[in-house]
Amino acid sequence: MSSSPLLPPVAVTAYQCVSAGGDDVEALYASLIANQSCLKPLTLFDMPFATVVGEVTSVLPEIRASLKAYDCRNARLALKVLAQAGFRDQLLQAMAKHGANRIGLVLGTSTSGIYDSENAYARLLQDGVMPAEFHFQKVQTAQATAEFLQLELGLQGPCYAISTACSSSAKALGVAQRLIATAMCDAVLVAGVDSLCRLTLRGFNSLQLISPSACRPMDANRQGINIGEGAALLLLEKPSPENAGRPRLLAVGESSDAHHMSAPHPDGVGAATAMAHAMRLAGRNVDEVDYINLHATASSLNDLSEARAVVSLFPNPPPCSGVKGLLGHTLGAAGAVETIVSLLALERGFLPGTCGLQQPDPQCQFPVVAAPNLGLSPRLILSNAFGFGGNNASVLLEAA
Amino acid sequence: MESMSLLGFAACAPDAEFRASLPFAVFDINRETIPPLLRRRSSRAMQLAFSAATAACDSAQRSPSMLPCIFASVAGEIQTTDLLCTELVKPDGAISPSAFHNSVQNTAAGYWSIAQQCTQPASALAAGADTFAMALLEAWCQLACQGGELLLVCYDENWPAILDPNRGEPAFSCAFVFAAGAVAGSIIQIGRPQSGAATLPADWAALVDKMPILAAMPLLELANSADSRAQLVFISSTWQVEVRRR
Repeated sequence: MSSSPLLPPVAVTAYQCVSAGGDDVEALYASLIANQSCLKPLTLFDMPFATVVGEVTSVLPEIRASLKAYDCRNARLALKVLAQAGFRDQLLQAMAKHGANRIGLVLGTSTSGIYDSENAYARLLQDGVMPAEFHFQKVQTAQATAEFLQLELGLQGPCYAISTACSSSAKALGVAQRLIATAMCDAVLVAGVDSLCRLTLRGFNSLQLISPSACRPMDANRQGINIGEGAALLLLEKPSPENAGRPRLLAVGESSDAHHMSAPHPDGVGAATAMAHAMRLAGRNVDEVDYINLHATASSLNDLSEARAVVSLFPNPPPCSGVKGLLGHTLGAAGAVETIVSLLALERGFLPGTCGLQQPDPQCQFPVVAAPNLGLSPRLILSNAFGFGGNNASVLLEAA
Repeated sequence: MESMSLLGFAACAPDAEFRASLPFAVFDINRETIPPLLRRRSSRAMQLAFSAATAACDSAQRSPSMLPCIFASVAGEIQTTDLLCTELVKPDGAISPSAFHNSVQNTAAGYWSIAQQCTQPASALAAGADTFAMALLEAWCQLACQGGELLLVCYDENWPAILDPNRGEPAFSCAFVFAAGAVAGSIIQIGRPQSGAATLPADWAALVDKMPILAAMPLLELANSADSRAQLVFISSTWQVEVRRR
């Protein structure tokens, strides 16, 4: 039995994404259907070990002269999304409708513009001073690209960043829903943006979590994770008759593991709590969920923890899959990128596959979809994002 | 929700001279607030956050294990991040796995949830010069949507001088326990954060420019005073809140 929601749903009226899966949602959809890994050797910088990454290799746009202080790879990835398939026009229409001061902007990012900070540190090592054009608060701190997008678009509402590692942009969606529910905003632009950088590649390598070859989520022979990059932007608006045909964000469930800084709770207790919290906020039951987009990083600890969480919460788990073998782990952007994957599943009627899955891990006792399934049209989807600090978020989406 | 109520608060500054210059009581860092196993490797940012958060929960007489929390910081774990970036650009630089996972913005939030065995949601936010204002807004929205109580912790350690010369000091933290609505026995009630430029006393302006998290000072000063007039209080150059004392 469903009950009334504790928080009103919001409409997702527009979304766009740039990732290793392509420069817009059409390319991403084609990649999801083809289910051929987009992970390739890194070209952006040199690494002292072998791996493949989900890199955006197409040309990124220049930042306009008046906003040059914000120039960094993160800002360029975000700017590229604005240029895709009329997305900027949709934002301008929303601004004309609601007013620039009624539209908020919430960014989820883990490392912000640190790729460019690393380049500045290389100059520091060489020259003894930081480059004159380096702006700490406009490049490196977490809100930098949020501020850039706000100025680029002329938005005037609340503007901030959530930075909770790999759950950042999933939690940003929850922030946006609350900003609309409290009438602080009529619409919110949510951005999940993280670029490849030396810090995360070498950091995860130091934790012995990087796979040398394309990762295999939920596979018995998995060897670890691959890092990706991406920018995903979603426009959320308060529900109205006009947007009744758009999919809905019903809730974002959140929890803390309270267990370990870099390892998930082995039984997935926090992950299960986040999924259950999403269901409770939305007043829905687990048997209504048609598909779960797993966090499924392809690290053994993460995959097994999430598998136990799903089995503990769902007496009959729905089909599940994870897309990090296709796109890599886009870290702070993953929540927003994979929410867009889930929205494509809702709107175009298919279940994404789990690229790289050959031999399902017998310890993961639930149905993992290996190849995309074009015969099913899910209506209610959970999308998981879990991060360092035991920080868990689960996004619940419904078809129009 | 018409207002949120302040149930308890505390502020912390490790620099004795700065502490002495403030018109209200501010504590030094209290490393005892961090469990021994976590203490040795704890960053200054984490020490600041834990010191204020623990004292605020004590003052509100609330158990930290029950409170959802929001950790707000302009620069987060900037000293650890600086160390990593310095190593990353050396040909033979060494990256420590614990330094890496302790460089994320939600390091203090994560360790707080572990130390307090708190499974409630924990968030970490940043908004540059508006960090304190957006932290109050986030607290407002969570309480308006979910009711109950929460812990807000605002903190910044000193930033490395090479990153933003003449900015990023003095280190400071403050923490607040808020409840949804007007609660009997609360210290002050705070209205919905709104656009507007309430006056920032000149004493604070230069400090806030140097260290944006110090935008909390006017609200802290009022919470510490006996001033009973309803008034608009500066929380950033473009955001303000109405504060009343019943």
